[in-house]
Amino acid sequence: MSATATERQQTMTLDGQEVTFAQGETLYEVARRHQIQVPTLCYDPRLEAFGGCRLCVVEVRGAKTPVASCTTRAAQGMVVSTATPAVEKLRQTLLEMVVSENREVAVNPLRGFASQELTTLVHRYGAQTGRFQGKHSGKSNSADLNPFILRDYDLCISCYRCVRVCAEQEGDYAISVMHRGFRTQITTEFNGNLKDSSCTFCGQCVQTCPTGALADKKALRGADLPGEIQKTRTICPYCGVGCSVDIMTKGDRMVGIQPAMDGPANQGALCVKGQFAFDFVQHDDRLKTPLLRQPDGSFKEIGWDEALDFAADGFRNALEKHGRRSVYGIASGRAPHEAAYSMQKFIRAGFGTHYVDNCSRA
Amino acid sequence: MPKPTNQEIVARWRDQPAPLLAVLHAFHERDGFLSSDALDGVSKGLKIPIAELYGTVTFYHHFSLQPSGPTLRVCTGNVCRLRGGLELLEALSPKGAKSMPCAGRCDEPVPVLSGSESLVGTSIDTLRAKPSPLPAPNPGGYAECIFAHIREPDRSTLAGYRRTGGYEALSKALREMTPAQVVGIITESKLAGRGGAGFPTGAKWKAVADAPGHPKSIVCNADEGEPGCFKDRAIMDHDPHTVLEGMVLAGYATGAERGFIYLRYEYPETFRTLERAIIEAQAGGLLGRGILDGGFNFEIHLRRGAGAYICGEEGSLLNSLEGKHPFPRNKPPFPVTHGFENLPTAVNNVETLASVPHILRQGATWYRGLGRNGHAGTKLISLSGDIRRPGNYEVPIGLPLKTLLFDWAGGPYSGRTIQAVTMAGLSGGFLAGDAMEVTLDEPSIRGKGSFLGAGGIIVFDDSRDMVRAAHDAMEFFADESCGKCFPCRIGTQRLTERLAGGAGPRDLSAWTEEVRDIGAAMRATSACGLGMAAPFVSDSLLQFFPEAVRFHVAARHTEKP
Ligand SMILES: Cc1cc2nc3c(=O)[nH]c(=O)nc-3n(C[C@H](O)[C@H](O)[C@H](O)COP(=O)(O)O)c2cc1C
Ligand code: SF4
Ligand code: SF4
Ligand code: SF4
Ligand code: FES
Repeated sequence: MSATATERQQTMTLDGQEVTFAQGETLYEVARRHQIQVPTLCYDPRLEAFGGCRLCVVEVRGAKTPVASCTTRAAQGMVVSTATPAVEKLRQTLLEMVVSENREVAVNPLRGFASQELTTLVHRYGAQTGRFQGKHSGKSNSADLNPFILRDYDLCISCYRCVRVCAEQEGDYAISVMHRGFRTQITTEFNGNLKDSSCTFCGQCVQTCPTGALADKKALRGADLPGEIQKTRTICPYCGVGCSVDIMTKGDRMVGIQPAMDGPANQGALCVKGQFAFDFVQHDDRLKTPLLRQPDGSFKEIGWDEALDFAADGFRNALEKHGRRSVYGIASGRAPHEAAYSMQKFIRAGFGTHYVDNCSRA
Repeated sequence: MPKPTNQEIVARWRDQPAPLLAVLHAFHERDGFLSSDALDGVSKGLKIPIAELYGTVTFYHHFSLQPSGPTLRVCTGNVCRLRGGLELLEALSPKGAKSMPCAGRCDEPVPVLSGSESLVGTSIDTLRAKPSPLPAPNPGGYAECIFAHIREPDRSTLAGYRRTGGYEALSKALREMTPAQVVGIITESKLAGRGGAGFPTGAKWKAVADAPGHPKSIVCNADEGEPGCFKDRAIMDHDPHTVLEGMVLAGYATGAERGFIYLRYEYPETFRTLERAIIEAQAGGLLGRGILDGGFNFEIHLRRGAGAYICGEEGSLLNSLEGKHPFPRNKPPFPVTHGFENLPTAVNNVETLASVPHILRQGATWYRGLGRNGHAGTKLISLSGDIRRPGNYEVPIGLPLKTLLFDWAGGPYSGRTIQAVTMAGLSGGFLAGDAMEVTLDEPSIRGKGSFLGAGGIIVFDDSRDMVRAAHDAMEFFADESCGKCFPCRIGTQRLTERLAGGAGPRDLSAWTEEVRDIGAAMRATSACGLGMAAPFVSDSLLQFFPEAVRFHVAARHTEKP
């Protein structure tokens, strides 16, 4: 929730500074607005605050124990300190505890959008100390052979962001929490595979996971490619919603797609097509030269000039015989936006008709 | 009678308030487990997504997802372990017996749950069904509140209850008092919550009465999961109508018309007793519509838990009632404004509610006067472990602990001395040595770094290994941690591993520092009382038994690396 300046009529003290806030704002949100980096692991601004990781605790004058800033609303006159030595020490201990339950902390950023959150905090707090060693929690599910989502729960820290994003954002309720305490485990109905659940493979759980326990299997195919990951912001071409995405490339290879958390239409959401269906771009079967159908039904490779001449003849022929309304253009959702634009220009200006559409309206 | 069909079971409960646990128990009783068909039916009927339902069912200890014969559950709780619980479990394991945490019968170990019957005994040969013990007459000769009439014959029936003033308080309140006056008397009596947190009951009721939103609810917290606590069971088994009367009064005082009793699974006889009492009260015009021919309506719905200590925590309890995953809720908002179904709700412990009719009948001044040294009222103490006369005692608040242990309960067995006692069941950790010179009231016990809480006291004599006792206590918290928050989910596990031996640094000061740091993080940052209280166990062990800890860590050197 971001309040407008005029709604911020109450005041509190934040790390020694008088600040204003609006009714309903949490301490975390107020701190965020003032560029204070309060650490979190179970927090995703799109979801209802959960209060599980407890890294966001801050000191409030008069309170017996620190409070979770993500779930505590600001109140008039509150005096809040976000990073006293005592609180920072508690955070370090908590992070050392989290590291101790996990197989590894450094994970490949191709795993997912938020996959570096734990790593980053562990470095920030110098928390990879080897303290608190003991049993690991979470058990990876290698039996789920779906082509999209790796369920590597050895890395899971039970923040339940995946479960909450699936319920609150996607409305699919495909996954949930099984057992309790240190034995908690992310599951589907009857502990089966995702494909037998109500999962739509939208990938949101993958992208919100702060440890890479849920990982993008398709992107991980590019793990061994040389080069840095480059991200290019664009719009998903598949349908009319217009979700913003970042295309991940290594060199000239497209390796994966991540939703843009600040995309105005999607705010981090995608569907299975926008998230995972990009293989056609670099697929071996993709056509690279025009083909001309022969009388016997087979196709023959031809040059571009020949192909364009043939197509132009066809259009001209139809126009002369049947008039401008005999032409109807459908642009492909698999083509770039520039092509879609050219297509409608071509139909409208070239033939004088509005008979044009895009397959992604289907 | 033919067994009910899936549709019939779902239809029976679907439109009742808080249907999920009842529906699951109905399926479990019919089939002996929860089949995927049953869960599908519940999911569709109650509109709970199937994955969520599946996850929630696995949270509870007593639901089985596979066909399994009739189950025997043997208490291997912290007191029963001192009395042969583990040996009995082993003896019964050929019959498929499983363990369960403290089953609230520590005064008469070892309880075994067989279907919907509780057996007690320390060997297969002595196991038999037996009603829970009545509290002994007050050994100190003090005036009692809750136990004043509990030993009268037929007290658990409506007629027996009425013989000594039962439901007179209700009749007086409905006819002569405004709701605000009822709240006023409870406030004046200084009655405070007896479920552990000690919140003033009058203030809680006033908050519910003042909160906007209807319908409001009264929830009687009868989950009694704290190891070493069995006082609520005694009240409900022998004096169920006081609890019902207390609830109706709470309803009248707050404007609530719905009541729930959330009863722990391990008390099947209590369930039947309460069920009977509710029917009697309804028939007697004391519950339902137009109570005592006036305009006040109040229903009581009895629901059974399914084996989860955390469901005694009020937020978790409310989620459990509502059919949600039973994680505790973030506070604020508190249940008084956002309780059952997000509406104003008073969650009160059995003992708290059972005090209410007595207070209204005899007055706030009388109740306050029952305490000692300026403390108001009485507290039930469940005393168990290495003590001659374990059982429930109603003590004036402020009574010296040693008076209870030695004068009332006969002290330790011959040749033994008392090494330590727990407070608040297990949640207050241990008191030992001079720290046992306390009086039974919060200020005194908090002064020693612990708390009285729900009033369970477990005695350990000098034959006991205190590291082992601390391990068993921490293991309970680890098994019962809900898994919502990091400090408790990981902390209870790490502390248990360290107390078991075989984990943690081999150097004493490093070991101690780890245990202290985990404890500090848990106390300061846990999301609910379970994680905040669990380190009382490890910290009090470090404080009172440093030698035993030194030995324990030194043994790490002889272990294989
Ligand atoms: C882990 C945990 C377990 C609890 N178990 C119980 C219980 O079994 N019975 C109970 O009355 N209160 C229990 N409580 C306390 C409740 O949250 C709540 O404070 C109480 O029911 C309020 O009633 P009172 O004010 O009458 O005490 C528990 C609290 C925690 C943190
Ligand atoms: S991919 Fe989407 S639908 Fe499937 S579990 Fe993840 S969030 Fe839920
Ligand atoms: S899989 Fe990832 S998002 Fe889900 S609970 Fe585990 S760490 Fe959190
Ligand atoms: S303290 Fe423990 S029991 Fe309470 S919310 Fe956290 S994990 Fe759950
Ligand atoms: S962000 Fe507040 S508890 Fe995780």
